Amino acid sequence: MKTWLKILLILFFMGIISAFLVYHFVINKPHPDYDKEPAKYSLKANELFNQFTSNKKESEKKYNGQVVEISGKCTSIEQNDSLAVVVFSFKAGMFGDEGIRCTLLPKYKSGITKYKKDSEIKIKGFCSGYNDTDVILIKCSIQNKTP
Amino acid sequence: MKKIIIVFFIMAFLSLAVNAQKYITKTGKISFFSSAPLENIEAVNDQVNAALDFSTGDFVFKVLMKSFEFPKSLMQEHFNENYVESDKYPDASFTGKITNIKDINVANNNTVIVQAQGDLTIHGVTKKINTSGTIGIKNGVLTGYSKFTILLKDYNISIPKTVVNNISKTIEITVNIILNKLNN
Repeated sequence: MKTWLKILLILFFMGIISAFLVYHFVINKPHPDYDKEPAKYSLKANELFNQFTSNKKESEKKYNGQVVEISGKCTSIEQNDSLAVVVFSFKAGMFGDEGIRCTLLPKYKSGITKYKKDSEIKIKGFCSGYNDTDVILIKCSIQNKTP
Repeated sequence: MKKIIIVFFIMAFLSLAVNAQKYITKTGKISFFSSAPLENIEAVNDQVNAALDFSTGDFVFKVLMKSFEFPKSLMQEHFNENYVESDKYPDASFTGKITNIKDINVANNNTVIVQAQGDLTIHGVTKKINTSGTIGIKNGVLTGYSKFTILLKDYNISIPKTVVNNISKTIEITVNIILNKLNN
């Protein structure tokens, strides 16, 4: 086989491999696995809420878009067909209780039934911000094995 | 003294009556859809705060942009970093009034077409919006639905020139909420 043809074939296959890698790892890259992502910050639930309510701008800069681990006594657990939300309430506001709302990853939905009101829960999730009533964590995983 | 006690009870009754008219949710669902030649873009946020004061028709929606979930990770990154700049503008809101709230009777199970008007704020830009929707009532629980379209350029959301032909200039927003009476 002629040398120029060999080079052309090698370049062609390298092009195909590169295109596949770009598609797989860049264009179609999977979402982060929030269950396994390490927490950037770990603190008490009431501390996180107090920081957001006392200095919203600074807390948004610090926590929004980060994986945060919080611990505390849960106030309630809300469940419907599609969602399970662990709630830490710290005060009553115009639109009901205000605090931190943690939406669980689907794999933790069934296990949450063993936790009740006032259970100590350590929970980790992606902080999407503070909506002037609650701090919202999504993609949450339970970190303590027993209530 | 007697007068003060009477005034106190009237105030307490009024505040209860007003609270009894408030309906809220913290798990409202807003999704958007945009058709494009290369790929459709859609995302869902089911952490939406919404409240409706039934006595006046006033409502408020509050949405955190980082709570929108996309099927593809790269789309989500582009949405947050390049389009809505969610670090700079972390939330969106829609505050306004249902103008024909009096047409709804909570005591009856039915569905009413409602007209809503208000201020929609996205990407730090506020625009007046008029839209219609439905409110269904079943056993004292309200189910709200609306669908409307916005223009990206109205909210200063610019599309990079390299993908301008692949991304729609409009976005269809769908709202689905189940509101429960606030018990304070």
